[in-house]
Amino acid sequence: MAVDRTVVFRASVKTVKTRNKAMGVGYDCSKDELLKRDRHKHGFSSRAKEVISNITKLKDFLLQHRKDYVNASSLISSDLNRMTDSERDQIDQDAQIFMRTCSDAIKQLRTEAGKPGLSAQVKEHRGAVLDLIESYLKSVCKLYSEQRAIRVKRVVDKKRLSRLEPEQKRKVETPKSNDAEKTTAEGENNEKPVSDGNVELWEDSRVEDELSPEEIQMFEQENQRLVSEMNSLVDEVRQIEGKVVEISRLQEIFAEKVLQQETEIDNIHQLVVGATENVKEGNEDIREAIKNNAGFRVWILFFLVMCSFSLLFLDWYDS
Amino acid sequence: MAASIREKQTAALKRMLNFNAPPLKNTAAEPLWKVLIYDRVGQDIISPLLSVKELRDMGITLHLLLHSERDHIPDVPAIYFVMPTDENIDRICQDLRKQLYESYYLNFISAISRSKLEDIASAALAANAVTQVTKVFDQYLNFITLEDDMFVLGNQNQEQISYHAINKPDIKDTEMEAIMDTIVDSLFCFFVTLGAVPIIRCSRGNAAEMVAVKLDKKLRENLRDARNSLFTGDTMGAGQFSFQRPLFVLADRNLDLATPLHHTWTYQALIHDVLDLHLNRVTLEETPASDSNPAGARPKKKNKKTYDLTAADRFWQKHKGSPFPEVAESVQQELDAYRTQEDEVKRLKSIMGLEGEDEGAISMLSDNTAKLTSAVSSLPELLEKKRLIDLHTNVATAVLDHIKNRKLDVYFEYEEKLMSKSSLDKSLLEIFSDANAGSTEDKMRLFLIYYITAQQPPSEGDLEQYKKALIDIGCDLSPLNYIKQWKAFTKMAAAPANYGNSGVKPMGLLSRVMNTGSQFVMEGVKNLVLKQHSLPVTRILDNLMEMKSNPETDDYRYFDPKMLRGSESSIPRNKNPFQEAIVFVVGGGNYIEYQNLVDYAKAKPGKRVLYGCSELFNAPQFMKQLSQLGQK
Repeated sequence: MAVDRTVVFRASVKTVKTRNKAMGVGYDCSKDELLKRDRHKHGFSSRAKEVISNITKLKDFLLQHRKDYVNASSLISSDLNRMTDSERDQIDQDAQIFMRTCSDAIKQLRTEAGKPGLSAQVKEHRGAVLDLIESYLKSVCKLYSEQRAIRVKRVVDKKRLSRLEPEQKRKVETPKSNDAEKTTAEGENNEKPVSDGNVELWEDSRVEDELSPEEIQMFEQENQRLVSEMNSLVDEVRQIEGKVVEISRLQEIFAEKVLQQETEIDNIHQLVVGATENVKEGNEDIREAIKNNAGFRVWILFFLVMCSFSLLFLDWYDS
Repeated sequence: MAASIREKQTAALKRMLNFNAPPLKNTAAEPLWKVLIYDRVGQDIISPLLSVKELRDMGITLHLLLHSERDHIPDVPAIYFVMPTDENIDRICQDLRKQLYESYYLNFISAISRSKLEDIASAALAANAVTQVTKVFDQYLNFITLEDDMFVLGNQNQEQISYHAINKPDIKDTEMEAIMDTIVDSLFCFFVTLGAVPIIRCSRGNAAEMVAVKLDKKLRENLRDARNSLFTGDTMGAGQFSFQRPLFVLADRNLDLATPLHHTWTYQALIHDVLDLHLNRVTLEETPASDSNPAGARPKKKNKKTYDLTAADRFWQKHKGSPFPEVAESVQQELDAYRTQEDEVKRLKSIMGLEGEDEGAISMLSDNTAKLTSAVSSLPELLEKKRLIDLHTNVATAVLDHIKNRKLDVYFEYEEKLMSKSSLDKSLLEIFSDANAGSTEDKMRLFLIYYITAQQPPSEGDLEQYKKALIDIGCDLSPLNYIKQWKAFTKMAAAPANYGNSGVKPMGLLSRVMNTGSQFVMEGVKNLVLKQHSLPVTRILDNLMEMKSNPETDDYRYFDPKMLRGSESSIPRNKNPFQEAIVFVVGGGNYIEYQNLVDYAKAKPGKRVLYGCSELFNAPQFMKQLSQLGQK
């Protein structure tokens, strides 16, 4: 267990002070301390602390509005704290812009820290500080993406529920409802058109109540068929959406890995280029060597032939 | 003592690194960066417990040695983790004068004296840095934890508290006092961290008794001082749930000199004996693959590779006490398992490639995405597993090479027979004259064990014969002189190191049959099976824990720091058997004893045993100390 000796330390500081006073040893004023502090106001760490406080603000903002954001009771309109979708989109956009500015700020700090003129230890320290800030930002981004994923799932579920109810209540005018269905199946923000479409159809159905029973039965059968068709389509689409979300997550992972590999491939490329250069130079050297060899041989042959000719000449001259 | 000593020390370190505030559980907390400065003692304490990655996760951007060149880094709090020695204090004062960091959190490994605090205070005043010194703490962490239940005292001052230093004949009283103080200080820190006041038992008439007396006195003083007692307070609450106090057995190395010289057969002890194992780090010299170089090529350099054997390595934790052939088999099994998993992932790759051309396969797609997600998430695990398998393959191959070269299995078998006093089938002289079997050190060790465990000392004629044979092969006989003296001193002639029943059943030369398909072709290496046997230390512990009556342990002294008055009696007040025990060997210990204690604790469910020693040496190091002693 650790024992806090700070109190003892302060006491010994007082003892030393009184001892110094008694011995007449003076000491400098403590004003220098404050001056030193001011010097580092705009330094690296103050800016880094700013970035961190910004990220914390974003985190607090996200957490604060999380409950409203994920609120599933938006079908019941009596809740006053309900968030509309436009507000949610606004939050999403703001968060994204914020995150982008934060990562830009981090990158800027990194380039500044990489400038020469600082000792190696300070550089290492700053690099590590920036790594810490980046991982903090990543964790906050995860918060945001979790929220978003929950929201997407809830919207999809909501679509499923809201689509079935009007189907059962309505009796006629299936083509109009079909169009309304198709539009809702595509986008997320079509809650209002659906509710509008439903109101219209109610009014229409009340007007055309005088249809004959056979027609009604026929229309009912058609309704049933179309309902089952639509349901199967909707199920498939829902599944595909889920899979697409998963795939996008995987893609993110892959993209990360690919980026990592990019640097390695660059290195390998450099090395290979260097290697080809070396091999080319090696070839040149070999060619030169062969040439020299050949030239040397020619000279030797020439010399030998000359010697033999001279011998013959001398022999002929002598005899 | 529900948490192991390693967890407690790690928790204490983490708290210290978090500016001595309890660490928050909040995962998305703001990062606070700091710089860690330690001296060599601090480095030895931290390195087996926290890796560099863990330090970074806690916000440590730089970790530096105290006595290195350090630059001015503004706006950063600095955490110091040092021993309160004079040169460290001077260096800290220098740092304060140079105003290197923004604020200083001073943590001293053991308690700092008032006068040294005043030195720092005056330096801080002179440098106008009093407000910068934010906190001063005494951490009481002056010991190194190597395993969950094993600890060693400092590494830097090994020379001062080695077996040689304690037992040399010309030791002065002041030196002895200094050694005892160091040991007691570390043990005190250990008990503070553990959070329990033990009951101390030790044998009479040796260094262990002196340590016990001093430790008892120190604990008693601390408990009396009710205001500042380290053993009360709400932080201790968790530790006090176990109503029983642990038993602290202080043993002396002189009780059993044969075990450190013993050749061993379990994985961890083998690595310590044969390779270079230091603070859970193995250093291997790797000779690269030997292709015959044509004349003129440069000689290949030997690389040194280091591996860390950590708590996270599951294979290591499972197999560090198993006999070596088992380890070889298990490595092979792990390798096969890893290969099947790798093949699965590769198969998945090809399936995905085919599926991409198929249309309308939504259901198949979902199955594959699930498989893909699991494969992607399991990839880092697979890579980690591969790294560990490589590590253990290399280490085990190196150990196996040594075994084959020095025929260590023969020595092991023979020594086991010696220690259990069963019949010997080969005589010592045969082994000495066998040139292939082992280095001169191995033969010397064997002879010393024979000498130590013999009931009666061998006759003069025999002795001369052995000596001559040993000198012929070039052994140094000075350890023998010391062992003779030791035997004369300790009147243990009555019960010379009774090593209990141990039997060794060699399973014959079945290397080729057993290891078909294994990488480790253990030709000629016998597959020896260890039967349960207890070393002297384990038996003493058993007697004391179970309150058995035994002539060996009956006159052990008994200390209880919580009692109002110390007594000279050796009658234990507590008649119940103990559930927890700590064994500490003054003068040095090794992994063989540790493994034996671990096996003993495993055999008795509900009992926990911790092992500690003043230094950790392997047989060659111990031999060196013995020869130094013998030359005096």
